[in-house]
Amino acid sequence: MVKSGSIALAVLLGLFAAPTVAQDAPKLTIYTYDGFAAEWGPGPGLKAGFEAICGGCTVDFIAADSSIGTLRRVQLEGETTEADLIVGLDTAIAGEARATGLFAEHGLDLTGLTLPTEWTDATFVPVDYAHFAFVYDTDTVTTPPKSFEELIALPEDFKIVVQDPRSATPGLGLVLWIAAAYGDRAPEIWAGLKPHILTVTRDWSESYNLFLEGEADMALSYTTSPAYHIVSEDDQTIHAALFEEGHLAQTEVAGMLKSSDQPELARQFLDYLASAEGQKIIPTTNWMFPVTDLGADLDPAFAGLPQPEKTLTVSDEEIAANSQRWIDEMLTAVQ
Amino acid sequence: MGGAGESHDIMAGRMLTLPHRPFRIAAAVALAVAITVLIALVLWAILAAATEASGTSRVDIPHLLRMTSIQAGLTTILSLAVGTALAWSLNRLRFPGRDLLVGLFASAIVTPGMVVAFGLLAIWGRNGWINQASNALFGVSIGNPAFGLSGILFAHVVLDAAFAARILLARLDAIPTNRLKTGQSLALTAWQRFALIDWPALRGSIPGIGAIIFLLAFTSFPIVLLLGGGPANQTLEVAIYAAVRQDFDLSGAVRLAATQIAVCSVVILIASALAPVPTSFGASASPLWRDSTAARMLQSLVLAIATLGFVAPLLSVLIDGFGSIGRVLAQPTFWWATVTSLAVGSASALLTLVLALALAMGRGATGNKPLRTLLGMPAFAYLAVPAVVLSLGFFLLVRSLGAAPAQAAPFVVIVANSLLALPFAIATLGPPLEAITRGRGKLMRSLGLSGWRQFRLVELPLIGRDLGVMLALAFCFSLGDLGVIALFGTQDLQTLPLMMFRAMGSYRNNDAGAIAAILLIGTVLAFAGLPKLFGKIADAAR
Repeated sequence: MVKSGSIALAVLLGLFAAPTVAQDAPKLTIYTYDGFAAEWGPGPGLKAGFEAICGGCTVDFIAADSSIGTLRRVQLEGETTEADLIVGLDTAIAGEARATGLFAEHGLDLTGLTLPTEWTDATFVPVDYAHFAFVYDTDTVTTPPKSFEELIALPEDFKIVVQDPRSATPGLGLVLWIAAAYGDRAPEIWAGLKPHILTVTRDWSESYNLFLEGEADMALSYTTSPAYHIVSEDDQTIHAALFEEGHLAQTEVAGMLKSSDQPELARQFLDYLASAEGQKIIPTTNWMFPVTDLGADLDPAFAGLPQPEKTLTVSDEEIAANSQRWIDEMLTAVQ
Repeated sequence: MGGAGESHDIMAGRMLTLPHRPFRIAAAVALAVAITVLIALVLWAILAAATEASGTSRVDIPHLLRMTSIQAGLTTILSLAVGTALAWSLNRLRFPGRDLLVGLFASAIVTPGMVVAFGLLAIWGRNGWINQASNALFGVSIGNPAFGLSGILFAHVVLDAAFAARILLARLDAIPTNRLKTGQSLALTAWQRFALIDWPALRGSIPGIGAIIFLLAFTSFPIVLLLGGGPANQTLEVAIYAAVRQDFDLSGAVRLAATQIAVCSVVILIASALAPVPTSFGASASPLWRDSTAARMLQSLVLAIATLGFVAPLLSVLIDGFGSIGRVLAQPTFWWATVTSLAVGSASALLTLVLALALAMGRGATGNKPLRTLLGMPAFAYLAVPAVVLSLGFFLLVRSLGAAPAQAAPFVVIVANSLLALPFAIATLGPPLEAITRGRGKLMRSLGLSGWRQFRLVELPLIGRDLGVMLALAFCFSLGDLGVIALFGTQDLQTLPLMMFRAMGSYRNNDAGAIAAILLIGTVLAFAGLPKLFGKIADAAR
């Protein structure tokens, strides 16, 4: 561990006390979550793609353990943060992120994007999206439920796994989804779901694993999850159940920080991120839909996925005003 | 230098029988103060960063405490009972592959909890081996017993009882030969032998192990959530995580953390005060004294059930992961992660060794009861403080020192891993070290041995094997750690468990399974090999 050794020395010598190393090439520091920066995630491709066109800049991804962790980190660091951008927040947390006042407007024209609903956000740029959905295996579930109410009416040994809304974004997404679809009836829906909920896990990965191991019939995931199994495993049996109530979409977003010392470069990166060149990298690395029309560049596994007919939305204001209460209602109902 | 024949009770005027070791006591006190200050700094750093007292945390603390205490209490009782029975059986029986089995048992506690939980489900779950067999043979299903309180308890007992058994077995293996010979010549029955010879050797370790198990169960986060079946069964850690991450209510998080620390401190205080001073200790030869046939049958039964219950889930992890091992081995990142894991593991094992020896020796050198209790507490610091609070506090501290978090990460991970392993290390080394100063203190005093010579000539040869167990524990803890690295890991600092976790979070379950299997093999090898190696080194030094 030569690297750690030299780091040890450097820390001991206090070299990091004042990071005033002169930089020839401008450096763009991007906070994101683990999976985005992973070697199989979109991070490396985006880095290479942008460095090739930015004229001699360096892109540096710094990964936190979760997307909300990146936001909390810049909140703690405030003006002194080294981050120029955050990539990977989602629409459920975007309102809170905006309210911190740490983000600058992107100033880009995003009218050409192809999202389920028109994009009007002046602060955040969409990166990718997918609808929340329950996934099932056609080998074990022949007739999947077509609505929350059909799911509730199934025999109690039909089990689903969901995530804790306080620790996992899909978990929060489900709370918002049910609130958007059922309004004041949401507690009733949760009470109906309770007998079917095998368990509520901390992370998405644990639920999904339980589902893959056959412990549950369905897991809360995304409409794009089947694409992974088609592309990487040539497995056609995993499908997303489409519900008649409509689905809430999770849109991942990126934003540039006011404190950035490279605002022009940061804006350029956002532009690249939403362009066809940048978007081409996303689907088969982050397993989400692109936000621009990629035409033939989109993997057929994605193009063939069934899409919900109706997209539900919850506004930032509604989320800010009600999400605590909705989470409490969910926790009380499934307790 | 026989240990037999000394009084089992704490002797009056014990002070006189202890060698005078002011340096040892001072070092332990300094370390205890340092750990306490570190925890206080962590909490202070978070409070200082809390901008406003929003106080939005809406947690039913009494309810959570009640549920968690019941769960943790049951876990502790069950694990200690099963662990004692298992150690008793393993101490008596000799069979081929015993060392490997002992290593496999011990590996449960240091394997990431997630891996063990999924291993359990592979056996006991709806789609597990038992259900599949039962469905195929009789057409009936046993249902889903692995979820709910029973599931949590089961998983915890698998993790903790095997660990308890490993440490208790070391105590039984260290019963001096002459004591066994005396017992044998008195023709003690199997029960008398346990009550008169085994139990006095075990009871010094029981409170420490019990406290560790209670705290592990009290703060167990992913397993409780995964197998608990919903928010009804959950721990304070979940609420603290939510306060830090979702609500960003930092003062609320510190309040909840303080509640958890307070509850844990009560448990630690009791354990630390209760722990009796262990008595006899020495090197033991293989037993030539066999119990009665009935007792041996019982021992074989205990071992068979434990092997099925504990080893089968781990075996399923190995089998599941085997198919993808080739693919994982071909990834350069895997080798980087392996090197990182080995480096971090070795560094934190050595640091743990230093910390544990300093604390345990200082504690053994004093006869002052309140001081002994106080010196017993800091070892548990990491178990009492919620990981997410520690990570946040460390992050803020590192920043306020002017360092970049990413560059400080390796050190934070090593220190945090050492603190995590510290209670286990103390439980391993504390009782034998105390037994030595108690049993041989008078002799060392009369010989006028210096502290160093006491260590070199008396202690080291006697605790060599325990040092090996301790180093194996600390090394494997770090090797299997997911809680610390998940919060401190960076792009450049990726250990095997973190790589596994990241693979699992990106649909790559096959890769994750393979890494889990590799981790398990490494752990078993370390556990089977290190104690033997150090036993040999100690024998050579004798």
